[in-house]
Amino acid sequence: MTFSKDRIGALLMLAFCAAYWFLTYQIRMLPFQADSAFNAQTMPEALAVIGVILCLAILIFPGSDAAPDLRGYKWGLGAAMIALMVFYGYALRPLGFLASTSLFLIGGYAALGERNPITLILAAVPIVFAFWALMTWGLDIYVAPWPEALSGGTGG
Amino acid sequence: MIEGILIGLGTALTFQNLIMVMVGCLVGTFIGMLPGLGPMSAIALMIPIAIGFDPAAGIILMAAVYYGAIFGGSTSSILINAPGVASTVATSFDGYPLAKSGQAGKALAIAAYASFSGGVIGAILLLVAAPRLAEVSLAFQSTDYFALMVLGLTAVAAFAGKGQVLKALLMTVVGLMLSTVGTDQTQGIQRFTFGMIDLLDGVSFLLLAMATFALSEALMSVLKPVGEADRQREMDAQRSVGSMAVSRAEAAEIAPVIGRSSLLGFLIGVLPGAGATIASFLAYGTEQRLAGSKGSEFGKGSVRGLAAPESANNAAATGSFVPLLTLGIPGSGTTAIMLGALISYGIQPGPRLYLDQPEVFWSVIISMWIGNVILLILNLPLIPYIARILAIPGRFLLPLIFFFSLIGVYFVSFNTFDIHMMAVFAVAAVILRLLEFPMAPMILGFILGGMMEENLRRALLINNDSWSFLWERPLTFWILIIAAAVMLVPLVWPRIMRLLGRRREGAGEGG
Repeated sequence: MTFSKDRIGALLMLAFCAAYWFLTYQIRMLPFQADSAFNAQTMPEALAVIGVILCLAILIFPGSDAAPDLRGYKWGLGAAMIALMVFYGYALRPLGFLASTSLFLIGGYAALGERNPITLILAAVPIVFAFWALMTWGLDIYVAPWPEALSGGTGG
Repeated sequence: MIEGILIGLGTALTFQNLIMVMVGCLVGTFIGMLPGLGPMSAIALMIPIAIGFDPAAGIILMAAVYYGAIFGGSTSSILINAPGVASTVATSFDGYPLAKSGQAGKALAIAAYASFSGGVIGAILLLVAAPRLAEVSLAFQSTDYFALMVLGLTAVAAFAGKGQVLKALLMTVVGLMLSTVGTDQTQGIQRFTFGMIDLLDGVSFLLLAMATFALSEALMSVLKPVGEADRQREMDAQRSVGSMAVSRAEAAEIAPVIGRSSLLGFLIGVLPGAGATIASFLAYGTEQRLAGSKGSEFGKGSVRGLAAPESANNAAATGSFVPLLTLGIPGSGTTAIMLGALISYGIQPGPRLYLDQPEVFWSVIISMWIGNVILLILNLPLIPYIARILAIPGRFLLPLIFFFSLIGVYFVSFNTFDIHMMAVFAVAAVILRLLEFPMAPMILGFILGGMMEENLRRALLINNDSWSFLWERPLTFWILIIAAAVMLVPLVWPRIMRLLGRRREGAGEGG
């Protein structure tokens, strides 16, 4: 048996479906709810069964035998962008929209190859300020611009 | 119908909505042109902005982005042989050879005229078909809706392509699974929330659409950036667009092609799951066969070969609105995202939409005409300038796409947990894309999941908890039979053919 793209994907999805199936038994219902013909567990259970059957079907009858070719991908760069997203999620409220977004964009441009510090700042900060102004005054969507510490902890 | 058209005109021709169409067409063309970003990502990116407007304006904006993105995809197919989406792959077969021979301007103009005609013919057919179907579907009950949703989901998987059927079915099921996360709608029970307050409302549709389309496509571009050779090709293409004039003989040659392909495209677009890609390839193949001796020119810069897929994919895009507007069942990934947006507005598409909110129903149809006119008169002359966008270096463009995707979702929920959840979904989507598992069936399953469960539960309530409605109500029964056939035929047919072929070979050797 070759480990083709289809089979690797099917194995991953099988793990997901099995976990989902296990979790369907963690859905807590009151006795009268559990007794009804269609309860909160019915559809998830049916889906878990169908999911597992489909995963097994792909494992047995894969659509193609092509093996994954992972050469030529810039994994480090991808990981850096994901790390930046996670950082942005954590920084948005404490640092405020303007600082966190500027840092996110500068980090992104830099990770993707821009090295000139002036270009980095000019391609990030004016866009962030313009976007914030458009949202706040143009579309009436308020997001706290400054760090939480400066605005008394009332993040947007 | 005349009254409806007047309502639609009244809504679509307001200053605000005309601006929406113009902005939507331009933004859609811009996004659709970027390699990797297709109509689905374009619409997903626009939802946070569209939600700020009234439903008619928001839907008009998204519909305009939709046609704009399809047109933009054709432009990058013709200029740099990089179809942003599958539905414009057939466009590149003859569009790129034309561009290479110094006739990029003509190719773009033919693509624009064909798209315009396909879109307009599609909109006329939609105008006729949608109200009729809406009237018929008023008789549908929840059991029939459940069956129709099963048909929609299986059809999407069935049309997924060779070797993809099982994977598409699995992704549909994964989408349905994700739709069960959160508080159960009827019994108020928490499912798969892990005790987290952030998951009580389930996974937001916008978050999932952005993460699995816009973000994952941007991540794929980061992982495998465009090479220097491609960049040079882009620069060359923008320098020499050339004349946009189409001769009278060429116009006469493509006119019947456009008529036939538009009709074919529309009919295929109406079928759930088929959509613009199949329509464009089918139209291309049909015209190649009909062209007779001129069929050999296809693939070398034939104007017929360019006009056929272009008119078919636009007509199919319009046709896919028929099941969405009349049954509330999206026929494609793109219309699934539109359905999610409609639901965010509190609008339930379906037969009642035609009666309860005629301004939304008709303004979408009328805006398609206006959108196509705008695409022709505004975008065509601007194409050489818009094409320069392709020259913006990826190192500046990609972080901005990341930012707009993340902030678009954050501005709806104001919850930073969503940003982290997007990162998780984007990583999962990238892994699945690398393994060639399709994403569109998942989003369709996710959007239909809640409705499917609700309709099934309602059907059981009406039938005193008996499942007999599945075979006792003829309409439900036959829709389910069709769904089963649609699912099983692509799985079983190739094996039967292989078996028959082997027998024939055996008989040949024996005899």
